[in-house]
Amino acid sequence: MRSSRRSTYALSMEKGDLLPTLLMAPAVALVFFVMVVPLSYGVFLSLFNFEFGAFDLRKAFVGLRHYITFLGDETALRAVANTLMFSAGAIAGDFVLGTLAATFIHSFSRSIARFIRPIVTVPLLVSPIVVGLIWRYIYDPQGILYWLMDQVGIPFEAFPGVTSASTALLSTIIAHWWQVVPFMIIVLTAGLVSIPVELYEAAHIDGAGPVTAFFRITLPMLKDVYMVILLISGVDTIKVFDIIFALTGGGPNNSTVSLSMYAYSQGFANSNLSYAMAISVVVMTLTFVIFGIPFIRQNRNRNDR
Amino acid sequence: MVKRIQWYLRIVKLSGLALLMLWTVTPVYIIVSNAFRQTLDIKKMPPALIFTPFFKHFERLFALDNFLRYFVNSIVISVSVTFVTIAFGTLAAYGLKLFRSRVGERLSNLLLLGKLVPAITVLLPMYIIMNRLRLTGTYFGPILAHAAMGIPFITWIMTCFIRDIPNELLESATVDGCSRMRAFFHIIFPMLTPAIASAVILIMQFSWNELLFSLQLTNIDTYPLTVGIARYVGAISVDWGKSSAAATITIVPIIIVGFFMQKYLVSGMTAGAVKG
Repeated sequence: MRSSRRSTYALSMEKGDLLPTLLMAPAVALVFFVMVVPLSYGVFLSLFNFEFGAFDLRKAFVGLRHYITFLGDETALRAVANTLMFSAGAIAGDFVLGTLAATFIHSFSRSIARFIRPIVTVPLLVSPIVVGLIWRYIYDPQGILYWLMDQVGIPFEAFPGVTSASTALLSTIIAHWWQVVPFMIIVLTAGLVSIPVELYEAAHIDGAGPVTAFFRITLPMLKDVYMVILLISGVDTIKVFDIIFALTGGGPNNSTVSLSMYAYSQGFANSNLSYAMAISVVVMTLTFVIFGIPFIRQNRNRNDR
Repeated sequence: MVKRIQWYLRIVKLSGLALLMLWTVTPVYIIVSNAFRQTLDIKKMPPALIFTPFFKHFERLFALDNFLRYFVNSIVISVSVTFVTIAFGTLAAYGLKLFRSRVGERLSNLLLLGKLVPAITVLLPMYIIMNRLRLTGTYFGPILAHAAMGIPFITWIMTCFIRDIPNELLESATVDGCSRMRAFFHIIFPMLTPAIASAVILIMQFSWNELLFSLQLTNIDTYPLTVGIARYVGAISVDWGKSSAAATITIVPIIIVGFFMQKYLVSGMTAGAVKG
């Protein structure tokens, strides 16, 4: 006990010990100047009417006007709804399909699991814009999906895909699942391996079926894993851009415009940079409220334990 | 009887697995095979499984559309990003390890908050700043942006790996008169090679595949491959031959690298989540 305390002391930050801080300085400086400074500048500029060239801070100040415009802007509100629906659908599918597939693969022998792993990792390496492109080909009305549906006698109207506002968002979510469910499989399979087999044996002796064992053992044991996955992969759904950019471009009828896409088109296609920044600040706030606050709270609990 | 049921069950399960694999691979096969089909054949249903490969799309990309340049740009950007991020991230993770008591450990999970920052929120003001500094169109934009977005996450991954190195090992090195930096280069760094390999493949594929920053911060001379693809994808129509070929050039190298570094890719993705 005493020796372990001394060992931390030997490595510790004694007075005037600058080394730990110095080691962190390059990373902190880069993140500060390239991420924190632009972010603050962006929040600041969202209160102005920014224009390249002549830009007079006093004349251009508009206060919260961009945010008020946002609240009355039909496309913007549509984008909020789309983003939230995309995020909820994407994460729900990732978790449910990922858990099902991981438990399914886990039920095979180790050697089979190892054999299929290189195949499972392939979608993770595909650039999201290529994912969008691939699925745009699959969903093409003259394309392979509808040819297959035609072969088995399902009419086009049963699933109009990206051509109809009612199913376009679902179509983008399916493309997202194709890419991210494999990530869930990889991480959850590793999580499943880490659960002691004895727990399941004990449950089996007590007469618990596989479903009960899943809800009473697997899910609680993987709680922290799910939380981390939510933060390293789930968050990305709320910033979705690439897949939608290539797959639908936001259409039809804005039914797939996400907040990131709307901010992008306002900023770069309409040269309305200040309004775009207000929109992007909304994206960041949403991300923080939905993911950041629960994470900080959970992290605090974990440290208290 | 029971044996026969078990046998059937096994067949059903194995075909389920085969379907899962087919679902995973087919989309990639579709785009790669289309890159070798004539434009008219791409649209023909059902697609021919056996056909004579057609290389004109690739020839056009390289001869007319400057794709060799884009390919080199992608390499320059992703390799620089990897170097900067790994160097800064590993040093920072070691710094966190050296902090007294558990401050570093407590802080390390908060690094994940860096993942909360949306690219678009950084891109818009960064575009203005880069314009002022006359740096748009150079490699600096995407390299700095990717590194800044990647550093918190990579530092977090590295702290998850460094945590496993016992303090005693470091202590004995310092007792032997080794400075802490020498201890880092002679003891920690060699032990971290697998961890660094994991971080390398994670950050490299992120940078290689990233689109949004490069779309606005680069120009015709510095476009990476992803932007090259984006230029073929219109709102209404897509040039399927060229875009499939461009997509193939983009995904095949990283899939090959990922295949050979697969062990590290998997341990990188699982390290933080399962151990942390």
